[in-house]
Amino acid sequence: MSETYAVELKNVVKQFGEVVAVNGISLRIRDGEFFSLLGPSGCGKTTTLRLIAGFEMPTSGSVRIYGEEQGYLPPYQRPVNTVFQNYALFPHMTVAQNVAFGLEMRKVPKDEIKRRVAEALALVRLTGKENRRPKQLSGGQKQRVALARALVNRPKVLLLDEPLGALDLKLRKAMQSELKALQEQVGITFIYVTHDQEEALVMSDRIAVMNEGNVLQVGTPEEIYEHPQSRFVADFIGKTNFISGKVAVISGDRVDFRLPDGTMVAATLPEGAQVSAGDMATLSIRPEKIFVTPEGEQPLVGDAEALSQVSGRLVKIFYVGVERRYIVALADDTEVEVRVQNLDRRSRRCQPGDRVTLHWRRAHARLLKE
Amino acid sequence: MSKLITWLRQRASLQAWLLLLPSALWLFIFFIAPLFIVLVYSFLERGTYGGVVWHFTLENYRRVFDPLYLKTFWRSFYIAVLTTVFTLVLGYPLAYYIATRPQRQRGTWVLGLMIPFWTNFLVRTYAWLTLLRTHTGLINLTLMHLGWIHKPLPLFGNDTAIIIGLVYGWLPDMVLPIYATLERLDRSLLEAAMDLYASGPKVFARVIWPLSLPGVVAGSMLVFIPSLGAFVTPAILGGGKALMIGNIISNQFLAAHDWPFGSALSFVMMAVMLVATLVYFRVTSDEERRQL
Repeated sequence: MSETYAVELKNVVKQFGEVVAVNGISLRIRDGEFFSLLGPSGCGKTTTLRLIAGFEMPTSGSVRIYGEEQGYLPPYQRPVNTVFQNYALFPHMTVAQNVAFGLEMRKVPKDEIKRRVAEALALVRLTGKENRRPKQLSGGQKQRVALARALVNRPKVLLLDEPLGALDLKLRKAMQSELKALQEQVGITFIYVTHDQEEALVMSDRIAVMNEGNVLQVGTPEEIYEHPQSRFVADFIGKTNFISGKVAVISGDRVDFRLPDGTMVAATLPEGAQVSAGDMATLSIRPEKIFVTPEGEQPLVGDAEALSQVSGRLVKIFYVGVERRYIVALADDTEVEVRVQNLDRRSRRCQPGDRVTLHWRRAHARLLKE
Repeated sequence: MSKLITWLRQRASLQAWLLLLPSALWLFIFFIAPLFIVLVYSFLERGTYGGVVWHFTLENYRRVFDPLYLKTFWRSFYIAVLTTVFTLVLGYPLAYYIATRPQRQRGTWVLGLMIPFWTNFLVRTYAWLTLLRTHTGLINLTLMHLGWIHKPLPLFGNDTAIIIGLVYGWLPDMVLPIYATLERLDRSLLEAAMDLYASGPKVFARVIWPLSLPGVVAGSMLVFIPSLGAFVTPAILGGGKALMIGNIISNQFLAAHDWPFGSALSFVMMAVMLVATLVYFRVTSDEERRQL
């Protein structure tokens, strides 16, 4: 028997007039998963969420929730609840009335409503604030009321549309771990929309990276960060360096790559990439995966001889506390950023203007087609 | 001069009073003082050819509570209430429709609502006369010509005619405040309600209506108070038979030359309106009124 997914999208398209907001995406979100839709604004992540909630109807394709085709069901007939970006708390109701709203609509008996509202408010640590109005609450408190108002209904899937977007940085960080802990506690599938890559990495079990209405890659935070399959994903998630050149030899997943100045380096071919010898391509290397040394020296690591080496000129050093950032210009003036923890003494001898050598392991240089 | 300005700058509250002075003077001379004169007159005896005789009496107020006048008061009240109800029933859906149009179209709709009201009120009321008149009115002529009715409908010279005229006259005053509250209504609140299992009618009853209540109450006040005191509409469309309290008051001053009695009637009517206003302040909170 095939697995039943919490949410399954098949070839879902959503057009607004001429504009294609969602361009035929397919996603399978597992039961109990914290799943993030990550992408820049306008990538279709919020529209995807609204298609699951029922606020938008798909132009074509299928939306299933726990195997049930949702078709054109209105939002009030779907087993999901939403936490809105601006909270959307009812201003004319108290905290308790807000939280009770969904249960009242479903005609849950009065004493059960009372009990469940109290439970939900305890869950988000708002006991004692029952009779406040939304206006009397801080941003973080409103956020928690919105969560309680959704969770009290025990939805099968909770949809969250950039719920931390309006909070300041410190509160955001606190709410991130709180949300993650809450999700583990209640065991409900969370679908979380965000444009903040760090937030997605920290909280998610899996992430779908979206751009221009398409899903580019789905995977765990580690897979997405370590093994980006496209230039967009590599660039959007974290900082990365792109170095262009030409594919020389391919053997298995190993690629020998020629830089414009003729230097040969080794790189890894991502699964399923369609590249052949002679193609122009790009290497993607994370700044923290590169070692920098004075020219001709080896970094203090075990397999130093096996590393690819490229020489360049140190342009600038930024000191940012936990690390130093070295900007190195290659022969063709491509600038490469290297991040070194404030432990490594060898790199510290390099000064702006010096000739330096960059080193990296083959596994960390990923070949992406132009 | 510059010394004077410096002197003024040091006295912020004096500046505020200076700003207030012109309008305060205006209100005092043309509103408060006449009102006071009317109040004084209402306790005096009438002069033979208008004016007053300076002799204190409570007789005018006793006469106000004469069943004859009480009946007119009651009718005016009932006409004003019905007018308010009908403008609300017609105006709310219209306000809702305009508020849910795309942003750029809303201005056009509001303008469309206002344009007819650039024509003089008297002219528009006479226009209704040509529509409603019993034997020569366009509505009755058309319906009889089409053979749908055989006897003219009683559309003129009665409460129906007055209410039609008043509803028409005050409709924008109901629509605009309601539109203002509905337009500001956060769409995500409606989605949140739907997300929490509320169907269309429930969304309306639990979210849209309560949040538009300040507009409804303000609109009702703006319609109820002028309807209660209306005299042009009943004078023209009431056909001289169906009168409201406003007509009786104007008659006291213009025809019956009984200024003190007219003054007493005015004050009693103001008392009724004051009660209505107090009810308004009771129903809506400070916060809701600030939103308007």
